[in-house]
Amino acid sequence: MNVQFSQEKLDKVSEIIKRYPEGKQKSALLPVLHMAQDTFGGWLDTPVMDYVATLLQIEPIEVYEVASFYSMYNLKPVGKYLFEVCQTGPCMVNGSDNIIDYIKSKLHIGVGETTADGLFTLKTVECLGACGYAPMMQLGKTYREHLTKEKVDAIVEECRQKAAINN
Amino acid sequence: MARKLLLDKANVSGITGFEVYRREGGYRSVEKALKMAPAEIVEEVKKSGLRGRGGAGFPTGMKWSFIAKPEGVPRHLVVNADESEPGTFKDRYLMEFIPHLLIEGMVVSSFALGSNVSYIYIRGEYAWIPDILEKAINEAKANGFLGKNILGTGFDCEIYVQRGAGAYICGEETALIESLEGKRGNPRIKPPFPAIKGLWERPTVVNNVETIAAVVPIINEGGEEYAKIGVGKSTGTKLISACGNINKPGVYEIDMTISVEDFIFSDEYCGGIPNGKKLKACIPGGSSVPILPANLLLTTAKGEKRLMNYESLSDGGFATGSMMGSGGFIVLDEDQCVVKNTMTLARFYHHESCGQCSPCREGTGWMERILKKIDSGKGDMKDIDLLWDIQRKIEGNTICPLGDAAAWPVAAAIRHFRDEFEWHVLNPEKCLTENFGLRHYADPIHVPVTA
Repeated sequence: MNVQFSQEKLDKVSEIIKRYPEGKQKSALLPVLHMAQDTFGGWLDTPVMDYVATLLQIEPIEVYEVASFYSMYNLKPVGKYLFEVCQTGPCMVNGSDNIIDYIKSKLHIGVGETTADGLFTLKTVECLGACGYAPMMQLGKTYREHLTKEKVDAIVEECRQKAAINN
Repeated sequence: MARKLLLDKANVSGITGFEVYRREGGYRSVEKALKMAPAEIVEEVKKSGLRGRGGAGFPTGMKWSFIAKPEGVPRHLVVNADESEPGTFKDRYLMEFIPHLLIEGMVVSSFALGSNVSYIYIRGEYAWIPDILEKAINEAKANGFLGKNILGTGFDCEIYVQRGAGAYICGEETALIESLEGKRGNPRIKPPFPAIKGLWERPTVVNNVETIAAVVPIINEGGEEYAKIGVGKSTGTKLISACGNINKPGVYEIDMTISVEDFIFSDEYCGGIPNGKKLKACIPGGSSVPILPANLLLTTAKGEKRLMNYESLSDGGFATGSMMGSGGFIVLDEDQCVVKNTMTLARFYHHESCGQCSPCREGTGWMERILKKIDSGKGDMKDIDLLWDIQRKIEGNTICPLGDAAAWPVAAAIRHFRDEFEWHVLNPEKCLTENFGLRHYADPIHVPVTA
């Protein structure tokens, strides 16, 4: 894969860097890593992190140590649709265990695994700040709340349809 | 019906847009504040008695007055929108439904603190909210309430939104600053405090979203008027995010004079517990504050009705009380297992420990594993004592309060629910299919009679 942002994205990087004082472009690291992950296949391969280091004129190790600290950066490939199901107290009280079990059996994968067709990855995560709308999961930029088995079915179907259209 | 200062207009159609927000009285506080001296604004906030709404409850005006003002060094306001404490989802509500209130509060606060560039650091998972905030920022700029020369006063202020990337620890203010500098979220050793050396070593104030929003009514009505709402040192209104086993989970604005009982059972708020179940326990201020059994939750050890405010919730200290914390109110009914609930919280803190201090890095993992062992019927009686011992060795022995936050829920669970832990040990098979249940946790408290 050619690791290179489009001109539009490079302009966005410059705009982000301008939010900080001169010489403090490292502050742009988290936002630029989000952009990189979204652009280059949903995870951060080493060449991608090295590219970000070059863009921000910092050492590659400064990127690696940050990418490995924050849970939203994927250091391994993930499926096209990442189901991140919350399992902390308030979600557990409202049945998140059942939702996780249902997704496992429906997609025939365990936690941390990806379906053979590369479409779905299941992850369990800790509190996402949606405790009043439990059980819930994150899917891309959105939260899917008040989950039931029927809702999970609908979400899986929705993702499959989107994937079919994009192919 | 309690008075609402923050969410009063949150349901007005179109309030996320500038026009409606302005028509409803928005940005009046900016017009008023920019005619005042910055020190006068700080004074109003002091008079209001406003306490930090993120969890620690530190007086905001006092925090502001600590900011250093060295000649020629820029200062910054950073809004902490890294809401991550389990049970807490109030800031999300405020930002999603009435984003201009935060921006308005930020302009006033930035002026008071002398910050020309202010930042909102928002948790990465709230990925759709930066768009909402940036729209509000652009509208405020287009209407002269933000940007260069605001309202012709010569005051310049820019606001930028920065997304985190999944780390509870970044809600700790020095970890947040590190993250905003593009680093791992490892908390700094204090002193120096951010007010002296914060973001890029510049004087910095970090405040919670709700705290900054509360500055708007304080300026509009005056600090003294604001302080008349509430009771004692719990002035103004507080957002409570209620969840768990209740009929009406959601975000409520309360005036801190109502009782815990009314909050849980009245139709105006949580609407009681579903399916006719009984109240067993509650974590009243976000997952790190002590869990209380139903009896001590509704009544203090002195036999008084417990109220939803800072003083009353902490009445009795950790022996018989809890804390207001972040306002994340988690209710557990009689079918819930305190051991399992505590295990999920221990797992959370283990996952979120930054790894810098060994008592927290190692201790949180030990606690999670021991709790998993007890929960799955493989525990020993001595595991309960070991758990108690570990939490005591974490508390107070770490750079930041995450260690305390991890220790307190475990300590409180053992303190008040020790027999439920022992029951798991004594009934290794039964505990896999049955729950300990309500038992005596809602029984009236014996109040010692004193002469």
